[in-house]
Amino acid sequence: MNQRRHLLVAGTAWVVLSALGMFLVAGMQIIPVIASQEAEIENRAFVLLAVVSVPVMMFVVVGLVYSAIRFRAGGERGDGPPVHGHRGFQTAWVGISAVLVLGLFVYGTIGLVDIRGAQTAEFEVSVSAEQWAWHFDYPATGVASKELHIPVNQRVHLTIQSTDVIHSFWVPAFGVKQDAVPGRITQIYMTANRTGTYPGMCAELCGLGHTGMTMTVVVSDQADLDTWLSQQPQASPS
Amino acid sequence: MSAMARRSILPGPGLTRAVLWAAIGFAIGAGALAFGLKADEGQIFGLGYLFALFGFLLGIGAFRFWLTWAAGREIDVHEEHAAHGRAGDWRRYFRFTTDHKVIGIQYLVTAFLLFFTAGIAAMFMRFELAQPGIATSKDLYNMIMSTHGAMMITVALISIIGGLGNYLVPLMVGARDMAFPKANALSYWMLPLAVLLVAINPLLGGFDSGWTAYPPLSQQANLGQQAYLMAFVTVGISSILSAINFLVTVFRMRAPGMSLLRIPIFVWALTVTATLALIATSVVAAAFTMLLFDRLLGTSFFRATRGGDVILFQHLFWFYSHPAVYIMGLPGLGAILEVVPVFARKPLFAYPLAVLSFISIGVLSFMVWAHHMFVSGMAEFFHIPIMFTTELISIPTGIVFLSALGTIWMGRIHFKVPMLWVFGFVWAFLIGGITGVFLADVPTDITLSDTYFVVAHFHYTIIGGTIYGLFAGTYYWFPKITGKMYSERLGRLHFWWFSIAFNATFLPMFWLGIEGMRRRVADYPTALGTVNLIVSIAAVNIALSVAVFAFNMVRSWRRGAPAGANPWNAQTLEWQTASPPPIDNFDVIPTVTATPYQYGSLGSTAGEGRAAP
Repeated sequence: MNQRRHLLVAGTAWVVLSALGMFLVAGMQIIPVIASQEAEIENRAFVLLAVVSVPVMMFVVVGLVYSAIRFRAGGERGDGPPVHGHRGFQTAWVGISAVLVLGLFVYGTIGLVDIRGAQTAEFEVSVSAEQWAWHFDYPATGVASKELHIPVNQRVHLTIQSTDVIHSFWVPAFGVKQDAVPGRITQIYMTANRTGTYPGMCAELCGLGHTGMTMTVVVSDQADLDTWLSQQPQASPS
Repeated sequence: MSAMARRSILPGPGLTRAVLWAAIGFAIGAGALAFGLKADEGQIFGLGYLFALFGFLLGIGAFRFWLTWAAGREIDVHEEHAAHGRAGDWRRYFRFTTDHKVIGIQYLVTAFLLFFTAGIAAMFMRFELAQPGIATSKDLYNMIMSTHGAMMITVALISIIGGLGNYLVPLMVGARDMAFPKANALSYWMLPLAVLLVAINPLLGGFDSGWTAYPPLSQQANLGQQAYLMAFVTVGISSILSAINFLVTVFRMRAPGMSLLRIPIFVWALTVTATLALIATSVVAAAFTMLLFDRLLGTSFFRATRGGDVILFQHLFWFYSHPAVYIMGLPGLGAILEVVPVFARKPLFAYPLAVLSFISIGVLSFMVWAHHMFVSGMAEFFHIPIMFTTELISIPTGIVFLSALGTIWMGRIHFKVPMLWVFGFVWAFLIGGITGVFLADVPTDITLSDTYFVVAHFHYTIIGGTIYGLFAGTYYWFPKITGKMYSERLGRLHFWWFSIAFNATFLPMFWLGIEGMRRRVADYPTALGTVNLIVSIAAVNIALSVAVFAFNMVRSWRRGAPAGANPWNAQTLEWQTASPPPIDNFDVIPTVTATPYQYGSLGSTAGEGRAAP
């Protein structure tokens, strides 16, 4: 069988498998629970990257499997053809990689600006981390609590600090994660868009109690949030 | 010699004396502080360790020749030759021996012993994680996890370049030894005490910060933490020393005719690796030293309460530790590309491009460090250039696939054990590479950072790149190193068992990460229990398959069939001399006339020897 025939068979397998794979991942929800605009952006990015990786992955897999089946030496002795390279193929490989990289970079930058760009907020919470607990302060009402309560469909600003070691504020359903760094104030802007109760946790190894350093986050509409805030004890002035 | 014999109340230079002098050194160092001055246990231990390390090196004979020379005495030619080791004498492996082939085996065996030990630590972790809830203790888990990481990093850093590299680079470039044989032995003998310190750190209270040792957590912890920091700096110094040696050897000691573009691809990979080690290691050694200063000398580089900056440490740490990923990876890629043409019986596809890609990886690897810090709170704008460079580095890394696929396409593939590992490598490194794109992209990284997705990703790249390369290389060069043939059947069993178990262990971890399982935790939501149990069972199988490997190596070394000089009919220079090679490597230094990948061209030769023995 000549080289052209091999390319045709392997090429067909590649096209079919790629199309099938891209079709399968295209409609998927990859982040299991999505409750914020940020998580929606991330899920879209996840799906797009997955769709683009399918043909790349299939190219290598088909090349590998096809070669393993068709180019096995068996009992043959002697060497293969003395081919040291192929200028066209090499140029195409590097060119296509470069185009993909550029595309991914532009798309990633757009997503990053979508998530971290707009720095305005309608609701403020101050988050404080210590070994091994979370504290939340609501400056507008002077309330302090162990649970995080935020309003739905409003842009929320979280300022994050730590009193001892590095922690990391993470709520998987919101697609936001930010380290709490001693000596610095870090921040998150986000918009939750589905009411409900979601788990949050510390994502940066912080010692013995790291595993258990979790929190509960409640997203509710403004009326429920106001009721809850009014029932909370005021923070002691510090 | 007779002078030596008369002073024989003390043991001669060797392990016994080294251990003795290390103990004396520790007593002097620690004692000087323990009495007299007000010092805490960290300071006492620190000075004790420095003196112990010096005593150990003195005792093993590391400075013997230089001291003799400095004292103006004749160097005993007999003794110097003895230091080069006598073939067949097993004791040379436990001595300060300057033969690069002995040092290579010392590194390789040390690395495999560490690999097994760290593997046992991994078994403990999978035992704890097999079911939700706490079976042992959270503290113990953090300690074992940190130790596993620290040891495996060491394995990945030293196994291929230190082991296979030391043994093979002089042979592959047609030299009689490394450029600085005594410095070479010195860089090996700096390791045992450091490695031992990491292994026994649980006895000193352990360390729970992970191998990354981020302050302030790493400033809270106890003596075990300090032991780890000091051991790491020691390994770093050894690594710089050995890097210089590799570079000088490759650039000054090549056989006649071996121009830069005729250097075997494995040697090119190690050359770039050594360059990275030389430039980057001093940065992490400085960062860890600053951390030690904060602990021991009262400075506050990283103490936020006293004006220090904890994120500074992360920048310094990753400025080394990302290039370090390539210090681990490139030797593996080099070994893979060295094996491919031999078993596909075709020239290495796009050799000049592959060389260029290794160099590009080396350069770019210094510009991507902050992708470990996308959620750390570093400067906001900095995400964008780092995302770009990180995605850019996938282009030269992708060339490895181009070369491997291009070589096997239309080849005459012989599926000997080394070639199986090549195919396994392509799959594993492909998964590692593609999942890396999700971590390079900031939007997806925000959610994936610090989860099991990351754990799965770096095990696919480091096991897929380094360990698959290490196994491919070890099987490939086993006949050269030992003169014996390994068991093909056991090799196949090892490959299939390991590969199935490896994929069954780490593929599900991507899913666990997406489902929200954090890394470095001893417990997780009950819903993830079944998958974690499957992962744990698969992980045990990795360990069992590695036992097959160890058995195969030991048994084949002792009673394998004689291999002959060139069982694979390969063209690089190391195969043009006896197996194992004589002490001076070559009877006559060969002359090189082409790249060593002239398969399929009739009558062409790389090296004089291709048609010879």
